[in-house]
Amino acid sequence: MIELLNVTKSFSKGKEKFKVLEDISFSVNKGEILCLLGASGCGKSTLLRLMGGFDLPDSGSIAMNGSKVSKPTPDSILVFQEFNQLLPWKTVLQNVIYPLKVNHKYQSDQKRREHAEKYLEMVKLEGFYHSFPHQLSGGMKQKAALARALALQPSILLMDEPFGSLDALTRQSLQTVLLESWDKTGVSIIFVTHDIQEAMEIADNTLQRPRSIGSSEYMKLYEKLYTILCEK
Amino acid sequence: MMCIMKIKKFIWIFILLILWQITALSGKVSPLIFPSLGMILKAMVHAIIQGELLSQTLFSIAIIIEGLFIGAILAFVLAIVSRMSESLNSLVETLITLAHPLPGIALLPIIILWLGTGRASIVFIIVHSVLWPLLLNLITGFRATPKVYSDVGRNIGLNRLVLLKEIHIPASLPYLISGFKIAWARAWRALISAEMVFGAVGGKGGLGWYIFKQRVFMDTAGMFAALVVIMLIGILVEEVLFERVEVLTIRRWGMTEK
Ligand SMILES: Nc1ncnc2c1ncn2[C@@H]1O[C@H](COP(=O)(O)OP(=O)(O)O)[C@@H](O)[C@H]1O
Ligand SMILES: [Mg+2]
Repeated sequence: MIELLNVTKSFSKGKEKFKVLEDISFSVNKGEILCLLGASGCGKSTLLRLMGGFDLPDSGSIAMNGSKVSKPTPDSILVFQEFNQLLPWKTVLQNVIYPLKVNHKYQSDQKRREHAEKYLEMVKLEGFYHSFPHQLSGGMKQKAALARALALQPSILLMDEPFGSLDALTRQSLQTVLLESWDKTGVSIIFVTHDIQEAMEIADNTLQRPRSIGSSEYMKLYEKLYTILCEK
Repeated sequence: MMCIMKIKKFIWIFILLILWQITALSGKVSPLIFPSLGMILKAMVHAIIQGELLSQTLFSIAIIIEGLFIGAILAFVLAIVSRMSESLNSLVETLITLAHPLPGIALLPIIILWLGTGRASIVFIIVHSVLWPLLLNLITGFRATPKVYSDVGRNIGLNRLVLLKEIHIPASLPYLISGFKIAWARAWRALISAEMVFGAVGGKGGLGWYIFKQRVFMDTAGMFAALVVIMLIGILVEEVLFERVEVLTIRRWGMTEK
């Protein structure tokens, strides 16, 4: 469904150019969750932005459903780590409805509202439809962002450490919410994290091993921890 | 908290008024220089009943609204132009650097030369006082928009123009409001000064002109009456109008520290 072939990207720092991504190739099938694991600064966000069309690779190609990714589209939605990804001047419900309106999903406001409420319910945000984002906790904000993304019914969610700033308990409940929503919607997900434990949980629940970008040390660490845990 | 602050303010105003009255009634100063509160109130009521103070106030307010409106439109246009390219941005910034430090009233002689002493000149000065602080704040606000907002906007399929309208403008609302506060304060001061100067050169209309005219008649109480009106309008706009706008928008949305 989304296919990367020999993707390379470098940035320049002052005069120097340094390669952030080198020769990355992989693909994700429809309905699959792919967990990308890598240390901080290894280029995970850069890779996701390329996949989302926010930036273009220096060489190599990224294709979605057979066509080249050249700009952001509502068919692949990026979910960020930042809590302020909701628009503060819109309520939770408006935040979900607005992208539907922009993309002409449904004719009537009533239909759009029902659709939005369905997804807010899916992420367990009942009772907060009319709150403004600043009135929500971090976890609830991320839930709302997830609902906004899912409501657009994209083919793929690109999640950039979405639960990275949450405490362990909230994170766990959000992981559950994410996996349940994935089950219900069948959306493909690329889930980026630097957290080995999180990668283990997501991967374990989806019976897939995470793939690593950056140094191979990180993956070795993962394997080691995984073996230790499985033996127990 | 806010409420206690306001009550304290009222208590102080009350004390200052009493001190004023004591001074006026002490007999040590001439009422021609220092009229009592009663005289000021009487002059005010008289001027209002007569209709002159009210019509001059409306005259001033109409001009200021016109100037604010034109200034705001120009500020938006220039802010958008400055986003179109690097060199246009640098042009707009140069204009701001040159024009912003120039007090409107300093332009007055030249404006009189160009446009005469009519209404157009005053509007011009107000536009000048409003445009630059607003533009500066708009540009700063656009720049300060968190990248994640525009990323989200691009992701859901907004084009550049809609992105500006739906994301950048609301996101820079705190800057826009503080820009309007500065703009209002400058415009109001510039207006009164310009009207007074025009009074001196034989123009007509407005609160500034009214004060100037009362001086000619040595109507000190009338002058103070106009000052009170100016103060009341200032308080009404700064403490009530802007306050309401903030409560209904940026404070409601948690976009301010307060
Ligand atoms: N726009 C950019 N310009 C220059 N350097 C960048 C840019 N974006 C990211 N980088 C650099 O690329 C590297 C990878 O960044 P990033 O993809 O954010 O890593 P990660 O998300 O894995 O923590 C970092 O060293 C970062 O400083
Ligand atoms: Mg990152």
